Amino acid sequence: MPRRILIIDDEDDIREVAAMSLETVAGWEVMVANSGAQGLLRAASYKPDAILLDVMMPGMDGPTTFRELRKNPATAKIPVLFLTAKVQATDRRRFADLGIEAVLVKPFDPMTLSIQIAGALGWA
Amino acid sequence: MNRLWAQFLPQIEERVATLETAAADLIDGTITVAQCEQASSAAHNLAGVLGTFGLAEGTTLAREAEAFYCIGPPIESTVNARMVEVAIRLRRLIATRK
Repeated sequence: MPRRILIIDDEDDIREVAAMSLETVAGWEVMVANSGAQGLLRAASYKPDAILLDVMMPGMDGPTTFRELRKNPATAKIPVLFLTAKVQATDRRRFADLGIEAVLVKPFDPMTLSIQIAGALGWA
Repeated sequence: MNRLWAQFLPQIEERVATLETAAADLIDGTITVAQCEQASSAAHNLAGVLGTFGLAEGTTLAREAEAFYCIGPPIESTVNARMVEVAIRLRRLIATRK
């Protein structure tokens, strides 16, 4: 069974490159959402194995979306990885305190994105 | 990746245009807070996407612009001139990727 990933990012270029990378390089199934609100709905219905969540989004940002995912029993246990272009040591600590599995940095290498995700989640 | 680059090039160019306009208005002294916010947002996106398409230098330049415009309208002319240079270099860089 291929892994199922939900990508939540408002930037359509990043979303499409990440989706293409995970589908073609790793053979995973990918669902995308272009906002935190859409991501909450898709996470509940699609039930992915993991969520790749952009931090800086208009409206509902990544941390807020994450907290909402945790409030819903249907999505509370899905591992979430943040994807961000700007991360400092203080951000990493703050995200770790939230319960984020890992923080991946933009720009990412499309050829190794799936390896980074698998490594962070302990997937063989 | 080349197909996606071609698909998203117009919006990448649009973001560079936002930085070019902001830089020009910096020099004229007419830039607004709202423009700085737009430029910062455009630079943030470019920082994330250019390196993903193999343009690591573009990410470095865009991060510099993002940090600069985050602060708001500046006044020092040498720093303002640097933002013109950053916009020009970004424009040239994406042309090389074509």
